[in-house]
Amino acid sequence: MAERLITDLGGLPAGAIPREEYHMVFWEKQMIATFNLLWDKGIFNLDEFRRMVESIDAELYKTSNFYRRRLDGMIDLLVEKGLLDPAELEARTQRILQEGTRDHVP
Amino acid sequence: MSLERGPYALGERVRILDLDKPGHVRTPMYVREKVGVIERYCGDFENPEERAYGRVGRERIRLYRVRLRQRDLWPDYEGPDKDTVEIEIYDHWLRPASGGD
Amino acid sequence: MDHEHDGHEHHEHGRGLPPHPTREDDDVALTYGEARYLALKSLLIEKGLVTADEIRRRLEINERGNPQQGARMVARAWVDPAFKARMLADAKEAAKELGLEVTEAKLVAMENTPACHNLIVCTLCSCYPRSLLGEPPAWYVSKAYRSRAVREPRKVLREFGLDIPETVEVRVHDSNADLRYIVLPMRPAGTEGLSEEELAALVTRDCLVGAAVPRSPNA
Repeated sequence: MAERLITDLGGLPAGAIPREEYHMVFWEKQMIATFNLLWDKGIFNLDEFRRMVESIDAELYKTSNFYRRRLDGMIDLLVEKGLLDPAELEARTQRILQEGTRDHVP
Repeated sequence: MSLERGPYALGERVRILDLDKPGHVRTPMYVREKVGVIERYCGDFENPEERAYGRVGRERIRLYRVRLRQRDLWPDYEGPDKDTVEIEIYDHWLRPASGGD
Repeated sequence: MDHEHDGHEHHEHGRGLPPHPTREDDDVALTYGEARYLALKSLLIEKGLVTADEIRRRLEINERGNPQQGARMVARAWVDPAFKARMLADAKEAAKELGLEVTEAKLVAMENTPACHNLIVCTLCSCYPRSLLGEPPAWYVSKAYRSRAVREPRKVLREFGLDIPETVEVRVHDSNADLRYIVLPMRPAGTEGLSEEELAALVTRDCLVGAAVPRSPNA
């Protein structure tokens, strides 16, 4: 008997389905576009991304949301492929947070 | 692999296997070891179990849609016997359902 | 499991700021998620993997995806039986006739009939014909919907305000692999005099997934 993937939810007990509408903010739209672009360019494929999402910590998956999963999965994949240095990314992220502005980000 | 087990005919009874395959797969638990019928042949696609590890452009495998009765999936299903689920299954996850199935 | 706010970032937007800005977001403090994306974007551009222009162009393509495009296909199918036959045979090809481009490998239209009601779900992730319909609704990507739609679809549909009689089969489609799906709902009674455009206006986003049915404007 194989082990169930954390993403394999079909038939599991669950509560109410959230019905509020969600409107993506601008960075989320850009993030999805970036994701699609990397995919178009053959830098990664959908199944690789799905594998990254499946490999996140089970507890984290339960509380994670769709957009953060997409961002974090894409980052993990680029790191795995040697295209991104996680320390460099984190340093850049902290710098942007400290500056607190979107202005000088390309 | 596709040549060993396919092709299945429309309406043919098939069992969805419970392969002990680590890593990325697209066959959810709730349909494993369940019997349904072939609803359609969808075409040949790259195997996601290979693609998930960056191995692209390999041999394509057959993909089918299988129709299952809700009652067979969940013995305490709330609705009528006629309710169904249809799902896409690659042919190495299928085998013909024998008389005992 | 009751972490049902998948797709939502209310917890990150705290700080008494408006939770759902839809524009440039300059009135909202940077979240860690956004800063992480901005850092990623700038690094990808520096490394020459993408350009800002390519991201902008891809964003424009994504913004074409819209439920109204699916509604146009449905309305055409209602008024043109030959188009409907082609849509049921190959919805991706049929979309082209209306000038709509579907970039997913395959699009399959599932027809609602008096004997069968169709409902679409992706239990493993959130597969959806995005190039045609845009990003899926929050409820569609929620873990609760993905869990329950295959297990108790009638109860889920009742919660959405749809009570399917026991004489009608409920058929759930798990969009788990390579195909993408759109529901072709039934044309409501009392719409004989409506134009194709007026018919399309009856077809909401949720109708295209089977979580709602079009209603006659006079009903």
